[in-house]
Amino acid sequence: MDNLIIETRQLTKVYGEQTAINKVNLHVQKGRIYGLLGRNGAGKTTIMKLILGLTSVTSGEVYVFGQNIKGNEKRIYPRIGAIIETPGFYPNLTGTENLEIFAKLRGISKPNAVKEALEVVGLPYNDKKVFSKYSLGMKQRLGIANAILHDPELLMLDEPTNGLDPIGIAEVRNFIRDLCVERGKTILLSSHILSEISLLADDIGIIHNGVLLEENSLAELQKKNSKYILLQVSDTAKATLVLERMFHVKEYSVQDDHTLRLYDTDLDMAEINKTLIMEGISVTSSQLCNDTLEDYFRKVTGGEGIA
Amino acid sequence: MRTLLWAERLKLKRSKILWIAVFSAIMVTFIVFMQGQFQYYGHRYIDKATWYMTATQSLGSLYVFPAIIALMGSYMICREDQDDTMKSLVLVPVSISNLIRAKLIITSIFSVVLYTFLFVVTLTVEAALHISLLDFGMVLGFAKIYLLEGICLFVAVSPVIAVVYGLKKGYWLALIFAEMYSFLGLFIGQSTMRFIYPITAAFCVAGYYETTTVQFVISLCSLLACGGLSLLLLHGLNRKRDIY
Repeated sequence: MDNLIIETRQLTKVYGEQTAINKVNLHVQKGRIYGLLGRNGAGKTTIMKLILGLTSVTSGEVYVFGQNIKGNEKRIYPRIGAIIETPGFYPNLTGTENLEIFAKLRGISKPNAVKEALEVVGLPYNDKKVFSKYSLGMKQRLGIANAILHDPELLMLDEPTNGLDPIGIAEVRNFIRDLCVERGKTILLSSHILSEISLLADDIGIIHNGVLLEENSLAELQKKNSKYILLQVSDTAKATLVLERMFHVKEYSVQDDHTLRLYDTDLDMAEINKTLIMEGISVTSSQLCNDTLEDYFRKVTGGEGIA
Repeated sequence: MRTLLWAERLKLKRSKILWIAVFSAIMVTFIVFMQGQFQYYGHRYIDKATWYMTATQSLGSLYVFPAIIALMGSYMICREDQDDTMKSLVLVPVSISNLIRAKLIITSIFSVVLYTFLFVVTLTVEAALHISLLDFGMVLGFAKIYLLEGICLFVAVSPVIAVVYGLKKGYWLALIFAEMYSFLGLFIGQSTMRFIYPITAAFCVAGYYETTTVQFVISLCSLLACGGLSLLLLHGLNRKRDIY
């Protein structure tokens, strides 16, 4: 596809005998926000490093802007802004001095580029505070400022809201959204926080133990969320026997001794309640529910779920 | 390269290493000055013209400055990994080889500046003590010795910088390695090996020791071999890096 900004084919990374990334086929489309979602240690950062060529690929291919990054670094890197893991800066320099170094090394000719980048992330320009005295949130903001300093087409942000307070998280979220919507940037971000991804991403990739389990648009994933009837009863064992016998229910799951999920939503809930009560099983609640995204991820990751 | 040199200079702003270097230079001049108060056949050492300049240069070059120069070079190179800035530099993209080259150039300039500072201090003390005994040729001769010692000592300790970069165990190791390396020079300086051993070879090339042409060339070759070895080591280490 022409509008693919990042594409990986069977991307694999092996450290010794451990396969960190296993045959990942990832597709990031132009002008969209791709959220890479997974638990800590799932392989999100490794995928980002592999895409950027910061670590060697064991097998498979990576294409950024349609080109293999190896050998094309000088052409591709200036089009990318990235934060990988923690933002690294010189501790004895101020935020402004740190950004001035990177601006000059990148050959940015635009005057006030540093000032503008700092303004965007809400950090003061020409502040006397050195980087070593920054809070975790300030460090993260400076990292984002450095990533957008040269106005790149592609942003790769590894856990961008790490260490930010709730207001800071909302600000960064809005800012990322604006970058995509108003300036047409393509953004690949990773997170272990489901709500963050679901609020920001257009497309989602679920990674677990180095395997990309699912890749789809948020809208498609939401469509997959199944409906079910949630029953709170006095005895699930007895209830299931009654439901199987009287209603021929086959698709259900027992959550615990008192909770039951029926996946056939065409069943008459009033009739179920009445029957169960008549059979001596008390029903404390019965309701029609929708699977949340978290439930879906839990299902996809084999029950482990995501933070 | 000019941008890299500018960046490396800026990175040293507020750096404690610079203050350590200045403090050590002042301490050397002070200790030698106090040492000069001892008497030999009824005369204080310091009363002899040029004794202070000679003693400061040799004491500093054998005990203190190799360690300081090695520490500075290792700090500059190792800090990119320790401060986790290497990945950001690679993504600019910055050539690691050019980056290391810029750091070595700044370290060599630092070494020369350190010796220039030392020269200015010792010359001021000498001038204050016995200005009538100093002549222009003598001062120029010492200026040459100090300047060359600054350059040669940097070359002599450059393998230590490369080894510490390869070990990745922290730049303070350079201080220990360079101290051992230079302290050994104290004993080798008494033997015929002094023309070959890089630390004392620096003395020979700088003109501290009297040498024949052959001995001078041997010392120069020893230092060039040191520099070549460092470049080879650094080049090999850069190629070996799996990650940036």
